[in-house]
Amino acid sequence: MLEVELCNLKLKNPMVLASGILGSKSSSLYRMAEDAGAVVTKSVGLHAREGYRNPTVINYAHGLINAVGLASPNAESFARELEKYVKIAPLIVSLYAFSAEEFAELTKFFPMADAFELNLSCPHIKKAGLEIGSDAELVKEIVSMVKSKTKKPVFAKISAMTNVVEIGKAAEEGKADAIVVTNTLKGMAIDIMSRKPILSNISGGVSGEAIKPIALKCVWDLYEELSIPIVGVGGITTWKDIVEFMLAGATAVQIGSAIFYSSRYFYSLKESLIAYTRWTKEKLSDLIGKAHN
Amino acid sequence: MFSVRVEKVIKYNENFSTIFFDSYLKSYPGQFIMVNVFGYEEIPLSLSSPNSVTVKAVGETTRALINIQTGELLGIRGPFGRPFTPTSDRALLIAGGIGAAPLFYLHDYLKTRCKSIKVIYGAKTQEELIWKSRFENVVIVTEDGSEGIKGTVLDLVKKEDIDSYSKIYCCGPKEMLKALYKHFEDFDVLNKTEFSMENYMRCGIGVCGSCVMENGLRVCADGPVFRGDELDF
Repeated sequence: MLEVELCNLKLKNPMVLASGILGSKSSSLYRMAEDAGAVVTKSVGLHAREGYRNPTVINYAHGLINAVGLASPNAESFARELEKYVKIAPLIVSLYAFSAEEFAELTKFFPMADAFELNLSCPHIKKAGLEIGSDAELVKEIVSMVKSKTKKPVFAKISAMTNVVEIGKAAEEGKADAIVVTNTLKGMAIDIMSRKPILSNISGGVSGEAIKPIALKCVWDLYEELSIPIVGVGGITTWKDIVEFMLAGATAVQIGSAIFYSSRYFYSLKESLIAYTRWTKEKLSDLIGKAHN
Repeated sequence: MFSVRVEKVIKYNENFSTIFFDSYLKSYPGQFIMVNVFGYEEIPLSLSSPNSVTVKAVGETTRALINIQTGELLGIRGPFGRPFTPTSDRALLIAGGIGAAPLFYLHDYLKTRCKSIKVIYGAKTQEELIWKSRFENVVIVTEDGSEGIKGTVLDLVKKEDIDSYSKIYCCGPKEMLKALYKHFEDFDVLNKTEFSMENYMRCGIGVCGSCVMENGLRVCADGPVFRGDELDF
């Protein structure tokens, strides 16, 4: 009852592990994949990045704020790590790069990937992520260049801090197979005792429950305008949130910050969704976009 | 994050200090906190009591921390992680170097709760043995023989009657934990051992994945204390 199909990938349920959460090691991806429909890795680039100094992640009353700074090994060593992943759910490799050429080059390192997610939305990196993902022309160029280098599905992960319809359309014109919306939103926190910003990078990306209504609206708007599938992400914490996102038009959802509550969170949500579909006697995939009628 | 003020610093020598805060953190022995040394980095540290951390200078941030002055502020997140599970029977604590830090707290906690506590406290040299007076029934061992018995903690553990203990708690450098693990595995008693593990951490709350071990468990949220039979050295 929970199965969905996303760009020819068969997912056992619509819940996908979001990028940046427990995504640096095959062992932790595997643990998440036991109950998630698919998993997305930590974003990887051509060269290794150390990331920012701690504090890089803080939790506040309504979610998390992070500026990890895309800390990741280089593509080659990350690929060696991902080779160890035992595929019990599709593996989506998240890529970040500073140009269209770099994005395209990255795909060849990951034959084990079932799909690629292009990080066009990380809010705290200079000349990558959101900075290139706000330029519609560039987004179209990046997506079409990546598409020309790989036959695998390519997802464009865009940010609510852009004109999502404009950027989403640009990605669709570049032949993206799906749009993932949204990444974290820019934010910060200040310690009132030391009177200094807490994160070493000063600002970071806000995720968790606080941003859910914003992400939901992005999914709604994109569903009205695009014909390719949409993956909703941002603050999804309960099974009701998943139903809400699907009604707004998401084919699948990604979950990240909620793992804060438990590493068995996917299991718990899955059980709730099973109970829900038993009650409605409907397949979950029948819900997609239903709120628009 | 919240801030605490440094109330007292005990400096044992140029590399080791215990830093006391002005407030007690609701916590259990074995838990850790993320300490933000302003101007430096935020680092994970085991609590050595509800209001202190005991630190060895190994890098820039820990160096700044052991030299911190009374009255200065520290940013704190936590306490986080799974603590030691107590016993009401006989406990054996095995500490290696700065690994003694969480065991100081555990020792205080068990004192009023269990029948007997024995401590085996080892280090490379005398200089790394700090705050020995915190332990009551303690055997000291150093690799160079500068204090106590010459040898390693494993040499002493081998002489112990393992079956007479209901719980064995270990914290120290990775090689030491690995040697102890093998020893307890041979005696088939891993289920009553607990190891406090260490790894590079970022978030401390189980989401970022920086501290994931080979078996897929997170040191910060599934640990830092693991039962021996949950580990895979």
